[in-house]
Amino acid sequence: MSPNRANDSDLILVNGQIYTLDPACPWAEALAIRGGRIVAVGSEASVRAAMSPQTRIIDLRNKMAMPGIIDVHNHLFFAGRAALFETRFAPNLTLNEILDEVREAASKQPPDGWVIGGIWGSGLLSELTIQARHALDDAADGRPVMLRDDSHHNRWVNTAALRLAGIDLTTPDPANGEIVRDEVTGEATGLLLEAACALVEVAVAKAVAAAPQVDIDAGAYALRRLNAVGVTGTQEAFTTSPMLAALKALDEAGQLTAWVVGSMPVVEAPFAPGEWGEALFDLRETYRSPHFRPDAGKILLDGVPTTRTSAMLEPYLADDAHGCCFRGSTTLSVPQLARALSDCESRGIAVKIHCTGDGAVRAALDAVDILRSFNGPGLMHQIAHASFIHPDDIPRFAELNVAADLSPMLWFPGLIVEAIRATLPGERVDHYWPNRDLEESGALIAGGSDWPVVPDPSPWPGIQGMVTRQDPSGQFPGALWAEQALDLATVLRAYTINPARAMRIADITGSLEVGKSADLIVLDRNLFEISVHELAATKVLATYFEGNLVYEGQQ
Amino acid sequence: MTNYFDPRLPVTLLTGFLGSGKTTVLNQLLARPELADTAVIINEFGEIGIDHLLVEAVDENLRVLNSGCLCCTVRGDLIDTLCRLWVRRDRGEIPPFRRVLIETTGLADPAPALHTLMVDRDLVDYYRLDAVVTTIDAVNGEATLRNHPESIKQVAVADRLLLTKSDLAEPHVVANLSMRVKKINPTASVQHVSHGQVDAVDMFDCEAFDPLRKSDDVRSWLEQEKQRDLALQHRSGIHHHHDEPSRHEGRIRTHCVILDEPLEEAAFTHWLDVIAAMRGENLLRVKGLVRLAEHPDEPLVVHGVQHVFHPNRRLRAWPSSDRRTRLVFITNDLPLDQIVRTFEKFAGATLNNAHALS
Repeated sequence: MSPNRANDSDLILVNGQIYTLDPACPWAEALAIRGGRIVAVGSEASVRAAMSPQTRIIDLRNKMAMPGIIDVHNHLFFAGRAALFETRFAPNLTLNEILDEVREAASKQPPDGWVIGGIWGSGLLSELTIQARHALDDAADGRPVMLRDDSHHNRWVNTAALRLAGIDLTTPDPANGEIVRDEVTGEATGLLLEAACALVEVAVAKAVAAAPQVDIDAGAYALRRLNAVGVTGTQEAFTTSPMLAALKALDEAGQLTAWVVGSMPVVEAPFAPGEWGEALFDLRETYRSPHFRPDAGKILLDGVPTTRTSAMLEPYLADDAHGCCFRGSTTLSVPQLARALSDCESRGIAVKIHCTGDGAVRAALDAVDILRSFNGPGLMHQIAHASFIHPDDIPRFAELNVAADLSPMLWFPGLIVEAIRATLPGERVDHYWPNRDLEESGALIAGGSDWPVVPDPSPWPGIQGMVTRQDPSGQFPGALWAEQALDLATVLRAYTINPARAMRIADITGSLEVGKSADLIVLDRNLFEISVHELAATKVLATYFEGNLVYEGQQ
Repeated sequence: MTNYFDPRLPVTLLTGFLGSGKTTVLNQLLARPELADTAVIINEFGEIGIDHLLVEAVDENLRVLNSGCLCCTVRGDLIDTLCRLWVRRDRGEIPPFRRVLIETTGLADPAPALHTLMVDRDLVDYYRLDAVVTTIDAVNGEATLRNHPESIKQVAVADRLLLTKSDLAEPHVVANLSMRVKKINPTASVQHVSHGQVDAVDMFDCEAFDPLRKSDDVRSWLEQEKQRDLALQHRSGIHHHHDEPSRHEGRIRTHCVILDEPLEEAAFTHWLDVIAAMRGENLLRVKGLVRLAEHPDEPLVVHGVQHVFHPNRRLRAWPSSDRRTRLVFITNDLPLDQIVRTFEKFAGATLNNAHALS
């Protein structure tokens, strides 16, 4: 039978080891693409049958190909802004070295441009006096400056920044935050703790909103980086209204080279104040575009363990500030959260709930339980950073149809895990990230980067770490809860089809099956034929999104 | 008069639709000597005809009537007004009134005022909500219920319903309306009023009339009331076609839960928090007494309007020999099975005796 013109493919990939993530046909040697969609997967003969003289053929030269990585938790705009417009320095710099960095960055900014950067080490806290603030003013030559610390929860700002943030002698401390003041004069020193950071982040957000190109450029940068590490889909994890606009603008310019699901803040949150809830939900249809779905919500139910703001079931280690029995707390009560989830669900919005403590995880599951008891079945919500989980709560993820968002990659020994040992008993830190228990209980586990909380969004170290439970860089010895290691096939699911399901884009991506978008990556090694200790070094040779080559690595 | 168990000043909220006879009732009341120890809060002096009753104008907002009653207009908001009254009473600047009557002109939805009285931090130490009295006029009442959903809510949150202008309507019309409002709110006591004449004793101390305090269970009490109304209808000798309840009324359902076994206070309170959060808008009124495992002789009083519940309060004793938990829910669009299912799950008890009352 001669091939029908109407069946011609644009592109076929042959001679590959194509790992499809389709259980019915896990490996294929060839794949055909037409109009951005997969039209055939399987043997070379079956795929060549759909060829015409116009079809381009790519010989994979026996390389492994697989679906593009889906990153379930990513802050593309924060990452892009940091890379393009902010100054990055190591947390071991002295105060004078930081001032030099600021001086250098300021020289590249317009006279009233913000100098934004990080991270400074918490060891400098006592040096951040009024005098230091004046030195910061000089270094930036009058421009406003905001510098983040190593926890990302505190800021050091200068006089111009305080003024733009509306902070003066009379400004009260916000709930859960502190404007540090000089003991004698009462003047703000420029050090802002926890929720007080919001005061200056609002001023920065205004400056950014006034220049929408900032976010468009930041987003474009981030997407290029994501494509380069093999990512073709991601859930933007805190999507404010300028970001909604930027995503649509990027799509209209043909630059949105990944499926993006946006997570709009559901309730007011200190770290990105401004519009939230209904005000944002009303904008969904304005900003929805072919590759961007504003269909998720975001709630921060607690903080982070290093600052004792995670909500825990058992107390933190005792310290002077908190005493013996402090467990942290959630930002919403269980009934409040249940109601918020119900309101989102009635609008077709699935919620990603940040829970770093096991107390917050339990509260979130309790809230979903209430939701289901009243409303019956509904959407799959997610618990982000599902890492400290009480054994009794593990089976509830599957029972309540809640996905476990595993991000950032902290499931092996490293700097942050060590920092957590300063606030939590060792025995509990040794039982961090029960990935295997979750998987075996039937929960949907989905991997993410939480970029820029990690400096690079590459999934490959995370994949290796999830298999070995050891530090892929080799810097930190030993394994973290080795019993929770997972096999490679399961981990690859956790980075492809599982996040696609959690994000409700599994109908179009996440696996290589007929009818789905041709989103795939070609790798420099066959992941199943190498030592697990070589997974982290995997290079992406090519990334295809909707059948278009969006990244090609240097050979 | 303050309740022996609760020294706070009781507050009665008088509500009712425009033209429902509220003003007439109020005018009548203000002239009575029994109101001597009452502070009455109204919107404007001009709305009610009190000039002939006036003795002294204390200031532009406060007048003492020759009955001894204090008449005060709302200044700022309700919270400010009540706080200011208290302060002046405390300082001896005004007579030591022993109860408050608030007349809510123009407030179609009484829930916000009720919530304020139930939980506002500045008020709950000094004042307690005693009762909601709603006027509905016998002549136009059915039309009002049909055309104005807010009037249904006013009936639903009432402790006492005054069917005004009873003298001006046919007996069967009065009986129909009486049945209609009882269907919406089986927990309120209904009184037929003629010429605006209401005894002070009918307005205040409403706990005495609370059907939930009676020894019979609510269902049998309702049955008695229903029989009484039917008799009134038949006595008139005229049988008219009953108008179907309006679409809005049709969704109003009263559900009743009765339970023998005691409940753990924390579990029950958790369920109340949960149902208030999830279904607050559908709960027009929740009233009842709960038998607690921890305090079997001191029933928990439950009183909620929409998503706001009174802070937990226990009575020192059961009002009657009936010591079962009994809760009445006046709901809008809330099926009984949602109440039962979630109650069993979160309050931790099996409900054998839960039924719809209407």
